[in-house]
Amino acid sequence: MATKKRAASSFHQIKAPLLFLAPNVIIFIIFIIYPALSGIKMSFYDWSILGDTAFAGFSNYKYLINDEMFWKTLGNSLRFVVMVVPLLTIAALGVALLVAGHEKGIGLYRGLYYIPTLLSFVIVGISWRWLLGDEIGVINYIIKLSGGTPQRWLTSPLMANISLVFITVWCQTGFYMVMFVGGLQAIPGSLYEAAKIDGANTWQMFTKIKFPMIRPTTLVVMVLATINAFKAFELIFVLTKGGPGVSTKFLVQNIYQVAFEEDKLGYAAAQAVILMMVIGILTFVQFKLNGKEHDNE
Amino acid sequence: MKRILAFVCLVFMVGVVFANGNNESSANEEVTLSVLWFNDGNESDIFLDTVSDYLEANPNIKIDLQLVSFGDYDKQLKLMIAGGSPPDIARVTTSHVATFSNSLLPLNDKIADFDSYIDPFNKASLAFATKPNGEIVALPTEATANGMIVNVDLFTNAGIDIKTLSKTWTWDDWYAAMKTVVEKNEGLNYGLGFDFSPHRWSTLLYAAGGRFVNEGGTAMDFDSPETVDTLKFFKKLHDEKLIPPSIWMGSENPQELFQAGLVASHIGGSWVINKYNSSITAFKWAAVNMPKRKIRSSVAGGKFIASFKGAENEAEAVKLMMHFSDQEHNAIYCKETFNLSARTDANITFESRSEDFNIMAEDLAMTPALTAEDWKSPVLGKIYSYIREQIIEGLLENQTMEESAKNIQAKGNEAFK
Repeated sequence: MATKKRAASSFHQIKAPLLFLAPNVIIFIIFIIYPALSGIKMSFYDWSILGDTAFAGFSNYKYLINDEMFWKTLGNSLRFVVMVVPLLTIAALGVALLVAGHEKGIGLYRGLYYIPTLLSFVIVGISWRWLLGDEIGVINYIIKLSGGTPQRWLTSPLMANISLVFITVWCQTGFYMVMFVGGLQAIPGSLYEAAKIDGANTWQMFTKIKFPMIRPTTLVVMVLATINAFKAFELIFVLTKGGPGVSTKFLVQNIYQVAFEEDKLGYAAAQAVILMMVIGILTFVQFKLNGKEHDNE
Repeated sequence: MKRILAFVCLVFMVGVVFANGNNESSANEEVTLSVLWFNDGNESDIFLDTVSDYLEANPNIKIDLQLVSFGDYDKQLKLMIAGGSPPDIARVTTSHVATFSNSLLPLNDKIADFDSYIDPFNKASLAFATKPNGEIVALPTEATANGMIVNVDLFTNAGIDIKTLSKTWTWDDWYAAMKTVVEKNEGLNYGLGFDFSPHRWSTLLYAAGGRFVNEGGTAMDFDSPETVDTLKFFKKLHDEKLIPPSIWMGSENPQELFQAGLVASHIGGSWVINKYNSSITAFKWAAVNMPKRKIRSSVAGGKFIASFKGAENEAEAVKLMMHFSDQEHNAIYCKETFNLSARTDANITFESRSEDFNIMAEDLAMTPALTAEDWKSPVLGKIYSYIREQIIEGLLENQTMEESAKNIQAKGNEAFK
């Protein structure tokens, strides 16, 4: 009897959860782990889509060291991440603070802010290209009509980078806003009431209650925004094709070009492995910093 | 046990009967040919119209046409070939033929009396489809050329008789004329819309006497004084605002700029005649001869149809390709798509714009064979984006044009290894 009970308990505690997890784990292994491992393996080969494949050892990684385009595009990606992630986090948090209440009609505003997130990056890119074009762009047309000087939104390297950051923040704010709204709504109302009794003003409520309480959400937002900024491709490809020149060409576009245009899949895989490592290190650092702040408190 | 044995025998016999049945009906078996296509204009519709008589005569043949944008076409084909499921038929360009030559189906043994069949095709077009071992891997459909289209009204407003001037003009004449046109037409800011494409850019290179690849196609021959001269000339046209920066530095479409009357001329492919014929009504336009520098040159090119090794319906694909490429059907297709035919026996009278085609054909006749040799090289396909990036880096003055030329030379030579 005791043995039967023990077996049933073991099933409920170990096997049942594993069984429920199995479908997701299998899908994860097939579509994430296996391709990732294949990519790592591929990075050690001279691998062509149409030609032969040969083991190349570390030569793809050695080649990276002197590849100017790799470093240039990695630098562009890092710069983009550094500009986009803080702006995106602040914008999403700001909008979330505005729409986090339960007032009547606030859902409509949340929906409006969320709409850009629902659009495909290709559509966003085409639409903004149409707006920002030098000669046939709507914004320059309006500037000309009002007697102003048209701007080179996408044809000057500086303006192209600024435009890209702005558009990325515009179209992703809604997604992260929803996460912040969730975090803000999870804060117990009793904390606000206690703070009010103590005479706290809005700023103090934000710095002493809201911000500390949503720190885990902020961390998740920053990690996801960092990963997505590193992976940015479609929007940039449609909007600037990486230009002018290579000023908005990021590492993912370089990987795409090396793989499908130059037909060097192995070398592209080596670049992708480095990108994965960079994202992994940055994510680790973000978690570590967050852990340290918790310890200090 | 006996029952099991009897069941196995029954299953085996049913299988054999069905298998035989299939063989017998194979002649009339329904075949769906997968056709991969990209459009410059409305070519896919006209392709389907052109082969409709073949489909009526062969009701068992169906076409599954997959349209892919030109930007994604190369990648799509590569993935289909690598995945072991190439299309039965694909529309391909000269650079695709170069890239996929080892995957394309050699036609020499697939078409009866092959030499007679291919004899009427334009030799320059066939050269693109011919491998070093003599195998022909695609059938040319249309011949294309790079050419210049001008807004005649803007030149007339500036007091320039463009038709007369362009008969013998040099790039210096063009430059002087363009300065006048921009100056005399209020509101016109730019002279030339230049396609964002190294292929189109090479028109300037060949006119200056340069080339990409050496004779024999074994290494780059790009880092030459002619190349640097061309690159500097191209930069001068940008610096002096004759070419709007929004095309090469911002991906604005030069066709749209020309159609909107924002530039006085456009260097593009001969297929734009088709597009402009239907879209421009606000002003008078015409094709003019390319200006001369050391020589007058266009760039030979073309479109082809091809099948692939390992295609599911190889035999039926070749039959349809032959039908589509014969004299009668090629003429229908080229006439309707407003394209120069790749057949020498094509006798096409275009309903309009024949003069424009003749001018582009004249330029093509002056074009040296090395342009085809260059663009036959698979290496140019591999460094296509790199060439574009390096030219723009020079335009932005992030590096000198000498450095751009050196970088392209080095990248190309690396791809040759």
